[in-house]
Amino acid sequence: MKGKEKFREMLYGYCFTLPALLFMIGLIGYPIIYNVVISFQDMTVQSFNMGNISFAGIDNYKQILSDPVFGISFKNTVLFTVACIVIQFSIGFALAILFSRDFRLAKPLRGFLIISWMIPTTVTALMFKYILSADGILNDLLLHLRLTRGPVGWLISEKTAIWGTIIANVWVGIPFNMLLLSTGLCNISQDIYESASIDGAKAFQRFFYITLPMMKQSILSVLVLGVVYTFKVFDLIYVMTGGGPVNATEVLSLYSYRNSFKYYNFGIGAAGANILFVCLFLVGLIYLRMIGKEELNDTDKDKKKKF
Amino acid sequence: MIRIRIKKRSSKKILLTLVAILVSIPMIFPLYWILISSLKTDAEIFATPQTFFPHHIIFDNYIEQLQAAGTLQAFFNSLLIAGGSMILSVSLAVPCAYGLAKFRMYGKGVFIMTFLVTQMLPSSLVLTPLFLTYNKLNLLNTYWAPILSTATISIPFVVLVLRPIFREIPGEIEEAARIDGCNRFTAFFRIILPLGKSGLVTAMTFSFIYGWNDLIYSITFNSLEILRPMTAAIYNYIDLYGTRWNMIMAYGIILVIPIVIIFVFLQKYVVDGLISGSVKG
Repeated sequence: MKGKEKFREMLYGYCFTLPALLFMIGLIGYPIIYNVVISFQDMTVQSFNMGNISFAGIDNYKQILSDPVFGISFKNTVLFTVACIVIQFSIGFALAILFSRDFRLAKPLRGFLIISWMIPTTVTALMFKYILSADGILNDLLLHLRLTRGPVGWLISEKTAIWGTIIANVWVGIPFNMLLLSTGLCNISQDIYESASIDGAKAFQRFFYITLPMMKQSILSVLVLGVVYTFKVFDLIYVMTGGGPVNATEVLSLYSYRNSFKYYNFGIGAAGANILFVCLFLVGLIYLRMIGKEELNDTDKDKKKKF
Repeated sequence: MIRIRIKKRSSKKILLTLVAILVSIPMIFPLYWILISSLKTDAEIFATPQTFFPHHIIFDNYIEQLQAAGTLQAFFNSLLIAGGSMILSVSLAVPCAYGLAKFRMYGKGVFIMTFLVTQMLPSSLVLTPLFLTYNKLNLLNTYWAPILSTATISIPFVVLVLRPIFREIPGEIEEAARIDGCNRFTAFFRIILPLGKSGLVTAMTFSFIYGWNDLIYSITFNSLEILRPMTAAIYNYIDLYGTRWNMIMAYGIILVIPIVIIFVFLQKYVVDGLISGSVKG
């Protein structure tokens, strides 16, 4: 009887769980495997339509790795990710500390900044394309303050284009980092700070010996999530520069997209996407090791009391 | 003595407020700039140096955009994709979150792990295989392509955000419901869902936003202009309008309006969701 009841409970559980799971297997799981298969095939739009797709071994990967544009796009992706993370994390952290202080505008202002996260990336990209254009408002401002001699060709010069996209991405990343870090800050009890200052700890000592160690968990997850979401950037750069000028802002996701949907060389596109995936997977493993255990552990209920 | 201390405190607060406003300016300015640019005349948009406050505020750009044949169609397409994606994600993910929260079963750990992993995947990874699969299933150039694809972003998010909420609901409530004659399914709909209402709102908000903001799936899977959502349409306007930024920004504002409405009325749920799901798709 007991075994039967257990079985029934499991059956009910699957009834609730399986529809979503099957959907994800069909639209994410199967495509991932199919993507691996494509990446080992000589699949172009012609061979796909003719039905004479041939096995290509590792030719697609070989071709990508010897393509100088791939090297450039890899370098750009890493530069983009590192620069964005450093800037958005440090400014986001500073803002989180500022807005954790008790003053009247703290909450409404902090809430208001979140809107930059909600706005469609397409609009953010166009907005910054306008602001950063040669006769745009940023150049007007820089010239007026005499910080530059002539207008900076933010998005049209090969040297500065990637920094133009970084500025736009950071504008979304800062509030996101700030929000996640300020919840970490709120969890630190004020008593610790008070007793520390009674013991004579200075502000920077309190920061390095209390704030940082106590926020280790949230700092790590903000950084890892930030890396994952920045590394796979697509919409923002696609709209702002389309990878140009002369590949100056070409990133991995764009490289894969261009091969699949502009040159219709699906094999190369799939192989490029797989390389992007492996990079993310390595970062993701760290995240899963940190968060996965907590999420999977059913017994510690109070860890997730965030609502 | 006490009065001095209070004075010192309030002046410190004023200083903090000033600093906060000052650092928020670069964050808020771009939003002000799209709004103000959308209200400028052509002459003013091309003027150098640019004007911080427009001399003539006009709504002509909006009128012209709203009268353009494609705008209402694109708005309707966006609404359909976002709404369809929301209904699909919520109806699949909410029961799933409940199942993973309340039932013992084999493979539960693996299931949760699957959602954690898929939440972080780049959309460019599945773009090529999905394109070929949709092609075979005749789903290219239909609303289904972006609806199904954006749901794959929302579903893992909703599952991970709602599961802890369902777990907090004490089991006694369900037991009581079942003694009163509910079975597992009616208990879920009549008792559990109303209790998890705030989580449900968060789930709906996020899945709508993910659908509304999508660009990559629509431009990849749908080439027909009549199916274009506003995000894809505004991208194509860059070629059409060149540097008539007032027109582009007016369209941008129309595109952002539903998001602003969500922000004004559901801000609490967005913040809650961001914190517990900590996700940026």
